[in-house]
Amino acid sequence: MDILRSIYEVTGFIVLIALGVAALEGYFYYHFKFHDRSWFFPAALLAFPALALAVSAAVTGGFQPRLWSWFLMAELLVLAGFKYAVKGRHTVPYLLLAPAFVGLALLLVYPFVFEVYLSFHDLKLTTIMMWKNTGKIPFAGLDQYVKVFTTSPLSEVSFWALLGRTLLWTFSNVFFHVAGGFALALLLNNAIRFKGFYRTLLVIPWAMPQVVAVLAMRGEFHSQNGFVNIILSKLTAAFPFLASMGIGPVQWLSDYPLLTCTIINVWLGIPFMMVVILGGLQSISSSYYDAADIDGASYFQKLRFITLPLIKPVLMPAVTLGTVWTFNNINVIYLVTGQAGGTEQADILVSALYKAAFTYNRYSYSAAFAIVVFALLFFISVTYLHGFDAAKEER
Amino acid sequence: MSEKDAIERRRTVKYLLIHAVIILAAAICVYPLLRIFSVSLRPGDKLFSTDLSLIPDGATFKAYASLLKDTMFLRWLWNSLLITLATSFIGVSLASTAAYAFSRFRFPGKKAGLILLLSSQMIPAGMLILPLFLMIMKLKLMNTYLGMIIAYSVSSLPFSIWILKGYYDTIPRSLEEAALVDGTSQVGAFWRIILPLSTPALSIAFLFNFTTAWNEYLVARVVLFSSKQYTWTLGLFELQGQYITQWGMFAAGSMLVTIPVLAVFLYSSKWLISGLTLGSVKG
Repeated sequence: MDILRSIYEVTGFIVLIALGVAALEGYFYYHFKFHDRSWFFPAALLAFPALALAVSAAVTGGFQPRLWSWFLMAELLVLAGFKYAVKGRHTVPYLLLAPAFVGLALLLVYPFVFEVYLSFHDLKLTTIMMWKNTGKIPFAGLDQYVKVFTTSPLSEVSFWALLGRTLLWTFSNVFFHVAGGFALALLLNNAIRFKGFYRTLLVIPWAMPQVVAVLAMRGEFHSQNGFVNIILSKLTAAFPFLASMGIGPVQWLSDYPLLTCTIINVWLGIPFMMVVILGGLQSISSSYYDAADIDGASYFQKLRFITLPLIKPVLMPAVTLGTVWTFNNINVIYLVTGQAGGTEQADILVSALYKAAFTYNRYSYSAAFAIVVFALLFFISVTYLHGFDAAKEER
Repeated sequence: MSEKDAIERRRTVKYLLIHAVIILAAAICVYPLLRIFSVSLRPGDKLFSTDLSLIPDGATFKAYASLLKDTMFLRWLWNSLLITLATSFIGVSLASTAAYAFSRFRFPGKKAGLILLLSSQMIPAGMLILPLFLMIMKLKLMNTYLGMIIAYSVSSLPFSIWILKGYYDTIPRSLEEAALVDGTSQVGAFWRIILPLSTPALSIAFLFNFTTAWNEYLVARVVLFSSKQYTWTLGLFELQGQYITQWGMFAAGSMLVTIPVLAVFLYSSKWLISGLTLGSVKG
């Protein structure tokens, strides 16, 4: 029975979306024939939303006025926009774009604006019931922003410590991703046997579902049953001098959580870089290397003066993407440290903002925090892209 | 002659060295997966042994059986599947028309729209979880499939549009022009000519949407709260959270989820990668 209901629920939504799309596309289709008839626009205004309402209410069996009113308003807005603002030759592309952009506006732009709104108000565990019932939240002005810099998002660590940790995390991860990926790609780019097979094995960390990969690695760092500590204790048993140097089993998850997260994330991230760089390497024509061989260039000279400049156009976007991904990586850190009683010594900015919202229920604080992080990331990317453009001009 | 031998020997050494390093790296990449497999086969009383052998003594499939029988694992898979399929369907259908507009028409705001799409990738995903969560709460859609689908549906839209646009660009315009001359409308040309021709790109976009939603954890964590509605990611986290008792079941569940994903990924990786590098190759 439950399963039947779940199917209804989902098909209802799909029908709703499909109807929205069909309404827009239908309007567009008939536009050629009817656009100058005076009755068409009012009819469209009434008919399509009413139809969508009726069908979706019939399918889901429920009537959720708020949701439908939002849907109705969005559709009205779109139709009105097409009738009055967009005329003439450009109607077709705008109509094709409309469904996607309505979706983006409702689920990407609106949440963003809502977050800004939240950051100037005070929504927390004690005021959320009030907001749920009346829709009102007390205004707080810049208080939340002041709090971001003065109080801890979690229980002890401060914003500045988190910032430093984030930069360290981002830099070290991206460095090892690129270095490891580059090394493996160079090795794989030789004429060797089983190349395809090796490549398949090497992308497995990327291909595994991230949740499984991270949780499994987390298990490997467990103090007694984890692979890492088993190997370490076997090593110290076999070579006693290692133990005298202070090497031995370690409480990875409680004593070195950030290091553990970094190792796990490096393991996860190398395959992507390797694949991208390998693609770049394979597109370099071998005639460059032949010419260099004739001139008697050494291996490292070839690497420095041929390989690096030629894979730069592939490498730069990948590094940019990788930096943004690593900066925003909540998954790894949350999955490793997010359980009850988890440590906060490994938290970076984004994971702290997630925990502030959903572990500590400080919603507005988290919103202000998010805006600050966004501004920071925006600033970094703009400077970076600017530098990138300048480098492009030079070439 | 001896010089030639030396070169030959050096080449062999280099060849062996390369293989050795790659095999070591591959072992590091694959080992955790093999270990999950080995743990999933362990009999219940040996879950915590420090044994490193791949197939443990007394290997059984008991963990799999109890996972399917005692937990709601199948239900979790079903939930995930339903949410993911709906999301991907919506995502791809929205992206296919938008990408067509970007690929074939010139209109005011085209460049701005493309830049908007790219820059939307800059917004930290974690940042939008809170407002989406509050919106879903306000719409009374907490703990429902619908809420999850709403939250997921546009997350991979920009990327899908980007991939599809790149693919549409490679289809010659003359095909549509011929159809237009034969009397079909612009929509007819899109529906009957472009869409069938771009099946490979559409399936890549679908796969991308699918894997993103299938592997998602953070949104599901806050929107779903009864274990009946869990997606498999939440379910597995739960199993591992109760670390002491469920380690074998966690491993079994991981294997069941990973193998199909791995197969699909390895099968489609060639196209996925060409999609990823599309922009950079052209620029």
